[in-house]
Amino acid sequence: MAVCIAVIAKENYPLYIRSVPTQNELKFHYTVHTSLDVVEEKISAVGKAMADQRELYLGLLYPTEDYKVYGYVTNSKMFRKLHNSFTDVMCNPFYNPGDTIQSKAFDGMVSAMMVQAS
Amino acid sequence: MAQCVQSVHEFIQDSFVPMVAVLCSEDAEKVTRKNNLNFSELLRPFCRLTSEGHMRDPNNQVQVVKNLRISVNNVVTRPSVPASGTPSLAQRLLLSEVVSTCQPAEGGVANVITAGDYDLNISATTPWFEAYRETFLQSMPAADHEFLNHYLACLLVVSSSEAVPVEKFLKLSQEQHRIQHSGEYTNPKWFIPNTLKYYVLLHDMSQGDEHRADSVYEDMKQRYGAQGCYLLKVNSRTAAAGADEQIPDPWSQYLHKSSLQSQDHYEESASVLANNTAVENNVGGTPELDGHHSEERDGSLVNSLDSTHPLQLDTSGDTPGSLDALRAVAVETKAGTAAAAAASHGACLTLNDHDRIRQFIQEFTFRGLLPHIEKNIRQLNDQLVSRKGLSRSLFSATKKWFGGGKVPEKSIAELKNTSGLLYPPEAPELQIRKMADLCFLVQHYELAYSCYHTAKKDFLSDQAMLYAAGALEMAAVSAFLQGGAPRPYPAHYMDTAIQTYRDVCKNMHLAERCALLSAEILKSQAKFSDAATLLIKMTSEDCDLRSALLLEQAAHCFINMRNPMVRKFAFHMILAGHRFSKAGQKRHALRCYCQAMQVYKGKGWSLAEDHINFTIGRQSFTLRQPENAVSAFRHILTNESQQASSQQAAFLREYLYVYKNVTGVCDVALPQLPLPYINSSATRVYFGHERRLAEGEKQAATHVSLDQEFDRDLAAMWRDLEEQVVASANRGVVPATFQATQCCLNSQTDNLRFPLAVVEEPIIVEVVFRNPLKVPLVLSDVSLLWKFTLKDFSRPQDAAVGDALAFSNEKETLVPGVGARLKLLPHQTGQLNILGLVYNLASTPSTGGTTVSSSAALKSDVRGRQDLEIQGPRLNQTKEEKTSVSHGPDRRLDPTITPPMPLLEVFFLQFPTALLCGEIRKAYVEFCNVSGVPLCGLRVVSTHPDFFTFGSSSLATPLTPLSPTSFENCSAYKTLATPPGATPGSVAAVTLVSAGDFGLGEGGSGTSNGVAEIPLEDRVLKPGQSTQLPLWLRGPDHEGVHEINFLFYYESAVKGGKISHRVLRHTVFICASRSLCVRATACRSNTLPEEEAEEEDERRNGSMLVFVDVENINTNEAGVREFHIAQVSSSSKQWRLHRCINPAEDKDCKLNSRERGKLCFRATRCKPVQATSAAIEKYIFADLSLGNEQIISSTTPCADFFFRRLSRSQGAGPGGGAEDLTSLVRKCNEVDLDIIVLWKAFVVEDNKQVILEGQLHVALQTIGKEACSLTQKEEAQEMVLLKFKPELPPPMTRPSMEQLSHLIKTNLHYPESYRHPFIHKSLCLVPVTLTLSNCSLAQVDVIIDLRHKTTSPESLEVHGSFTWLGQTQYKLQLRAQEVMRVPLRACFLHAGVYNLGTPRVFAKLADQGAMCETSQQTATPALIIIINDT
Repeated sequence: MAVCIAVIAKENYPLYIRSVPTQNELKFHYTVHTSLDVVEEKISAVGKAMADQRELYLGLLYPTEDYKVYGYVTNSKMFRKLHNSFTDVMCNPFYNPGDTIQSKAFDGMVSAMMVQAS
Repeated sequence: MAQCVQSVHEFIQDSFVPMVAVLCSEDAEKVTRKNNLNFSELLRPFCRLTSEGHMRDPNNQVQVVKNLRISVNNVVTRPSVPASGTPSLAQRLLLSEVVSTCQPAEGGVANVITAGDYDLNISATTPWFEAYRETFLQSMPAADHEFLNHYLACLLVVSSSEAVPVEKFLKLSQEQHRIQHSGEYTNPKWFIPNTLKYYVLLHDMSQGDEHRADSVYEDMKQRYGAQGCYLLKVNSRTAAAGADEQIPDPWSQYLHKSSLQSQDHYEESASVLANNTAVENNVGGTPELDGHHSEERDGSLVNSLDSTHPLQLDTSGDTPGSLDALRAVAVETKAGTAAAAAASHGACLTLNDHDRIRQFIQEFTFRGLLPHIEKNIRQLNDQLVSRKGLSRSLFSATKKWFGGGKVPEKSIAELKNTSGLLYPPEAPELQIRKMADLCFLVQHYELAYSCYHTAKKDFLSDQAMLYAAGALEMAAVSAFLQGGAPRPYPAHYMDTAIQTYRDVCKNMHLAERCALLSAEILKSQAKFSDAATLLIKMTSEDCDLRSALLLEQAAHCFINMRNPMVRKFAFHMILAGHRFSKAGQKRHALRCYCQAMQVYKGKGWSLAEDHINFTIGRQSFTLRQPENAVSAFRHILTNESQQASSQQAAFLREYLYVYKNVTGVCDVALPQLPLPYINSSATRVYFGHERRLAEGEKQAATHVSLDQEFDRDLAAMWRDLEEQVVASANRGVVPATFQATQCCLNSQTDNLRFPLAVVEEPIIVEVVFRNPLKVPLVLSDVSLLWKFTLKDFSRPQDAAVGDALAFSNEKETLVPGVGARLKLLPHQTGQLNILGLVYNLASTPSTGGTTVSSSAALKSDVRGRQDLEIQGPRLNQTKEEKTSVSHGPDRRLDPTITPPMPLLEVFFLQFPTALLCGEIRKAYVEFCNVSGVPLCGLRVVSTHPDFFTFGSSSLATPLTPLSPTSFENCSAYKTLATPPGATPGSVAAVTLVSAGDFGLGEGGSGTSNGVAEIPLEDRVLKPGQSTQLPLWLRGPDHEGVHEINFLFYYESAVKGGKISHRVLRHTVFICASRSLCVRATACRSNTLPEEEAEEEDERRNGSMLVFVDVENINTNEAGVREFHIAQVSSSSKQWRLHRCINPAEDKDCKLNSRERGKLCFRATRCKPVQATSAAIEKYIFADLSLGNEQIISSTTPCADFFFRRLSRSQGAGPGGGAEDLTSLVRKCNEVDLDIIVLWKAFVVEDNKQVILEGQLHVALQTIGKEACSLTQKEEAQEMVLLKFKPELPPPMTRPSMEQLSHLIKTNLHYPESYRHPFIHKSLCLVPVTLTLSNCSLAQVDVIIDLRHKTTSPESLEVHGSFTWLGQTQYKLQLRAQEVMRVPLRACFLHAGVYNLGTPRVFAKLADQGAMCETSQQTATPALIIIINDT
């Protein structure tokens, strides 16, 4: 299960970020932010021509001491759920693209994906 | 990795250089001391050779040695560094010193790296890292497994001034031999048993005898050979002479480091450190010099806050140490470094001397050192080649067999310790290594590589891991350094070496060196990613400084990649910064955080940003940059913080603390505070005193208060009212300069003009705060900041400006979303500008009990200001304004203080809150002028003008008691007792009243609006004077809650002020409940006025029946017991009630709940229509009292309300002009009679019976049409569909048949019964008079037709027929209102009952020729009884 889920905007600021062990939130923020470099690298490596066929799943971005950071989709369909939910958020006519996500439904879905904090 | 000054090759070459020891005689030392240097220091700047050297390798190939550097050091016999893997305390201190002294140049080399959308300002070079690296490599202790930093040669230096220099040389030579071979000293280590000794004669030019020196040198040449000795002449001038000559000082850059390297210094600083620690242990860590240092050294001192994690915010409130750490401003541990910099160096040396020294080094290297090395390589090579003959396998086999014998003296424990074998110094394996090292030192990398490679294999097969790692490391380095690159750089060698050093040998020192080399090499090959990984791997918990530096370098690697990894850079910078701060390198820490900040800033990573800002703030503060600290902390607090509340509280505390220190240092102007937010646009300004709402039983006018919400509709309503009253005060014209008075300004009011405030009247400013944090903020001593420009509008003289205004202060704890009200009281006229707020900010301790001591210490509130800047509304008038964003001014906070104005206070006494519909109540109003200026022109305007009256001004009302106390149980009406004999309701008393007496009818507009002048005595209210006036109220006609707004208007008696008038508002809510419902109908009376209406006029005008239905519709059965109809009055210009003709003989009409009563009256027309115009204005009031007292309805309360109602209902009175047909016809049906029903209600209130009085009005307008006191609520206007066709003009209406049939009133006069003896006379003739009266105002043609038979069939049956005799058809013309009698004769044949109502009357208006006559309404059956008289 995930301990931290973040949706990042194209301009690399967080649209949504949530982590389960709340006492170490800052660390997760740093980790997510750092992993953006890898995402950027992976995306730019594929090249412009292949942009359409690009596999959405970026796989393991990098491992830290305690956690592994993944980009997009795993075989547990975890990320597909996330994507669908994100699509729902984007379809909301009252949602202004670029704002931080404050949808309750999205929140609930993310909570379901998270490790249940003791 | 950041750019380095040196290239990789230079760097590696310089890392491994031939080492030369120096042994110096005391005299020689003295010579060099003149220059403030010792001998090795003297040589140091010249140790790099500028020319190429040559040597031959074992294969006799010539090898070029380029750019060689040698290292010259004094012989130090004490072991400075234990050979263990961990660096000593002294070495750590040295390194940290080196790093902290090397700071980036201020505003210097910063290059901008653009990566994606990031523009980063990054220092291009990291000189502190290079300095660290250099010092680190130089301070590497000599190890047993490698020979690179073992001494190859020894310089023996003797001064020429020595008595017998040769003897001295001998002594020194013996000394060297003793050091190397006696076994007393493990340090220094020597490369080869027979070390090269080079004899140097040092000659002091300034004092010694040059010839003697030369001769001694000649002697030496003979003794040691020309290549083994040298005469060095120095000190060509005296120190004094050198002072005025500027010679470059090449030592300065070396000297600092060298002074640090001296063993003495090590000792000294180490002892200082030891003392330091001891002190801290004793005291128990209370006065920490530096939190981070102490944490690092002694974790138990500070109760460790688990700050080992680099990302943890070590700020949580439960660590008392954290703040103390801040509080104790970092004391830089500068242990005695200042001493060295005192004197200049080389004061006695000329440039020639420099050249001589340089030449000496060159001579020594090329003549002495290189041949020595060459010789040794050759020897070693020979040895190895000879040993090659021995079978290698055999060799290793024997080693296996007798393996134990090789290291017989080593215990198993030691073996385990070093994780491998230890070879004796002369072991053959080490000879290969030795040869490799020699080759390496003279830049013969090819040979060196092959030797290292061989050695590596041997060591590995022996499982001598330390040796193997060393060989691997050097093999890799030499492979890299080989020119032309015959083989790729074996990076895996390095990795293995590092791993072995670290994991197997536990020697971090060597591992670090290896990593530094490897990283530099990888970097040169653009393998930044690998380099970064390598560097990050080398970070560990044991050494913060190293970790910090390596992390920083790793970060630089990330940014230097082909696709710069900005975020990784930033992250590792933060990690590095954390480590730096732990290592006590605060400046570096701050720099790292600042660089990382560039990446995180403004990208929405608020938690990270807060963390960085917080750290920057702290570090800045420790480094005594409080301004930076404050601004960094401000960032944390002003952001919409997502931190937990405890975290915010910690932030706030630190901010306040830092802030306090800043302001403590420089208190020039009060700085701006970031907290709390001021919602400046929501600022409200109130002019005037705060109202007392009630004073005893007095109820003050509500006016405007700050507690009221602004309501746009209400504001518009008040504005309308004010406009009305201003118009009436200015004779119906609103002046062009009119501006509605605004007492309370807010964001929605019109703030374009400067508001006017009156001197000595307070100005209250309400500021709305918002606390963005989750922790409470405590504001205290809040006061306004203002600027005042004195301007005297009236008087020329003025007083001091200083005490013009006074503050009132408020103190309050702020919960989010609360405002503060601050009051200013101007004492002078002028222009005031309210600029901002000054207040003390403090935080409350977040958790009460735990931090008692710290909260007491933290009880610090800081004083600061915040400006109030209000942006005006966005302009949207012109095109430019629409296309651009521009804002208008907002002058809310810039009031003009004007000279004194009168100030009115209004109080209401006995003002009810609930009334019955139509109830009359008397109350009192007190007007009070509380200012020092007389007041005049008092007026009042209301939304409900018919709700109240002050009574008519012309009619003095002495009968009503003036004081409210004597008013109890007294009727509001003016009454007269009816004469005892008179029957109630018999004949009405009549009064004539002019409408003008009641403030109406003066002018068209004056009557229609609700403005009333208040009848003040003298029309002026003097200062301090107050007056009470009675006020009559009448309950609204409709039930429900009514909001009634009064606007009192007054002016200053002194004209010409800036403020033309002032107003006072009052709003009351009246709850009206249902009382009675009165319906009235008027009917034409068919009978002519009776005989007693003697006057011709009255007879002609006719009369009318008025039916009044009264119903008790009160629903509150408990309260109101019953209603009594006390009196019915009429008011009209033409009619009056004449008498009550009620069939029931009730004395008083009582109505219980839901009862209905009917009253019937006769009304008579009392005035001819064509009366004079003056008489038309008079209203006739007729009172028909049903009780025992007569209420004079024509006087104040009753008539007032009648006229007020009238003025409202007659907004557009009947236009008397157009005498067209319709109106003419309608006129004859019109009756303009108002019925006033006066009632009394008996109400039980608090077990007391109270009599309430009231009046209801019914306006009768048309005969036969019912009118009701409750005007039916107008049906909600249906949604009108949009009509696109223009509406057709209303067609020329023709009067309907029904209307036309009322033109003529007919009446038959005849005897009721007639006796006739039919026996005597068969025909009975009865005279009948037909009276025709023209109701209309026009001439009417009338046709009377008698021929017509009754059509009704039953009448034929019942009564016999009769005939009219004589003329059966008349054609007549009736003038307006004319009454005509036509004598008729009826002829009856039998006795019986006959209906005489058969004549048919047709009428038509005389001048309307085209129209046919209309049959007029027949009167009721007119029965006559004919009796047969026998």
